[in-house]
Amino acid sequence: MFDTKVLDLAVQDLRNILRDGLIATDVWERTAGLSLAGFNQQPVAVALFTRMTIDLETSLTDSNFPPLSRYFLIDMEGNHTVAVINHGPLLQGILVDNKRANLGILISVAIPRMLESVARSRPR
Amino acid sequence: MAPLPIARSVPPAPARPKSQAPAPRLQQTSDNPSDRLDALLAWTLDYQRCTGAFIADDNGLTLAAHGISEAHVSLVGPLLSALVAVRVIPGIDANAGALWLGANSMMSWVEARNERGGFCLGTVGLEPLSSRSFDQLKEALELTVRGL
Repeated sequence: MFDTKVLDLAVQDLRNILRDGLIATDVWERTAGLSLAGFNQQPVAVALFTRMTIDLETSLTDSNFPPLSRYFLIDMEGNHTVAVINHGPLLQGILVDNKRANLGILISVAIPRMLESVARSRPR
Repeated sequence: MAPLPIARSVPPAPARPKSQAPAPRLQQTSDNPSDRLDALLAWTLDYQRCTGAFIADDNGLTLAAHGISEAHVSLVGPLLSALVAVRVIPGIDANAGALWLGANSMMSWVEARNERGGFCLGTVGLEPLSSRSFDQLKEALELTVRGL
């Protein structure tokens, strides 16, 4: 079992860092699709990004490309950017307004902190 | 033959009046990374002779900036990569410097690292910063990235 208190604190930390640029985030179990923590959670996004991640990982493997590492980004219309973070058994989606959230802070500060926090929440 | 295009920099922001007194040490009072970056940028603009300032990661991705475009900040990425080869030379630190951008614009920068990677604090102005200012920037950047 993952420590959901640690995950909740990590989500709060993410909100503090990205401020009003953070639109939504969700941390979920990749196999069950069970959400463990989040802010303005979007159940449809959980299903969508799980499928996209699995398809991407399969495509990379089938093409003999290096496997997915920490995250992938999607730039969408309406100043929306999604980062999907690969925490191993957990996945996380972060939806930001890229006019309000600084992508440098997202990539160089928020994502590394989130990776460390989720790693700390793992069962020992 | 058509004239060559001229590279133009972003118009510098109005210079803030700078005190002649030595810059006070940066005080970081928040654990929030965004607050810390904002405080560092404001301190730099207030106390260093510059028209713009930025904080970037070592890939040249902007974390905070004022008075300089993200496109200009991105040159930090290849610049710091090139300096890796320079640091191979014994006795060469090369974690600070100045670069002439053209159009009356000089970029000065310092670099600091934490366990997650390298970060760069830079300024743009008419002149390169003094060695004393480099020391102040370096100390302020190291203090800031400790909490990122």
